[in-house]
Amino acid sequence: MSSAKIQRLAQVDRVIHEPARLMIVALLAAVAEADFQYLHQTTGLTKGNLSVHLSKLEEAGYVEIVKGFKGKYTLTICRLTEEGKRVLEAYRKVIKGAL
Amino acid sequence: MINSSFQDVDVNPDAAARNLMQKAHNQDGLPEIAIGVCLLATAGLLWAEVVLPPGSFARKVSSLAFAFGLPTLILGSQWAIKRLRRRYLMERVGYVELKPVNRKRSAVILSFAFAVGAAVAFAAWKGAVPPASWFVAGIGIFGGALAGIAGKLPRFYIGGGIMAVAGIVLGLSRFSLDTGQVILYGIMGLLSLVSGFVVLLLFIRKRDEVGE
Repeated sequence: MSSAKIQRLAQVDRVIHEPARLMIVALLAAVAEADFQYLHQTTGLTKGNLSVHLSKLEEAGYVEIVKGFKGKYTLTICRLTEEGKRVLEAYRKVIKGAL
Repeated sequence: MINSSFQDVDVNPDAAARNLMQKAHNQDGLPEIAIGVCLLATAGLLWAEVVLPPGSFARKVSSLAFAFGLPTLILGSQWAIKRLRRRYLMERVGYVELKPVNRKRSAVILSFAFAVGAAVAFAAWKGAVPPASWFVAGIGIFGGALAGIAGKLPRFYIGGGIMAVAGIVLGLSRFSLDTGQVILYGIMGLLSLVSGFVVLLLFIRKRDEVGE
């Protein structure tokens, strides 16, 4: 393997490299949108942890969070932004190329 | 509950996401109940085709139900699951909107199914159809494998194994193709229905216990 490919590993996006955030981003990449409760149930992360990680992803501009309603039920809807999709794709290419 | 780590570590984020979503999709048992109902309906209508006299009114009704009612039931069950989840389970399992169906992928699957259907029809026309017992065994093995691959959970692997064994046993026995299929679909439908209800009850009880 070329040293360039290995060296690219050091340049992966650290925001989504963290396992819990990678799990959230990967899940959101597979759906159109999901609410906080679904992410909590599916990932198995604690609500506190999930909230912190979602905030970090939102700050980075990778995830868009919108408060809404479905009937009487309050929803905190999360979806991946275009930037989030682009970063995940780039991350995937780097990992795939190196491993 | 875990902290800041994967429940199932997988190198590929896509595969990890698919596995997690598959588990979430099957956590309330509703898909199994729907599959169970559809399989029992199939078994019932096939049985009607076997026992009802050809040309009778009841036979015509069952044939129409087989042609139009069954596909409607299969498609309607997906809609019903979505409605039930939104009406009663959204607060427990959360809300998710899946991506629109991938048309390219659907076209590939439909083309493959059409090609297999055409090959079987051509073989039948040429008189090269294998014995009926092969079909029953094949349905059992193929259905069992499909259940295991699609379910990705221990109960689906067990169910898939039972279906494969049942198919082989029925194939080796002297039942006709229709009777073999009725028994196979009946067994799998009942198994799926019971399993789905048990999972649903455990799911409701578990959520009530943690107060979510």
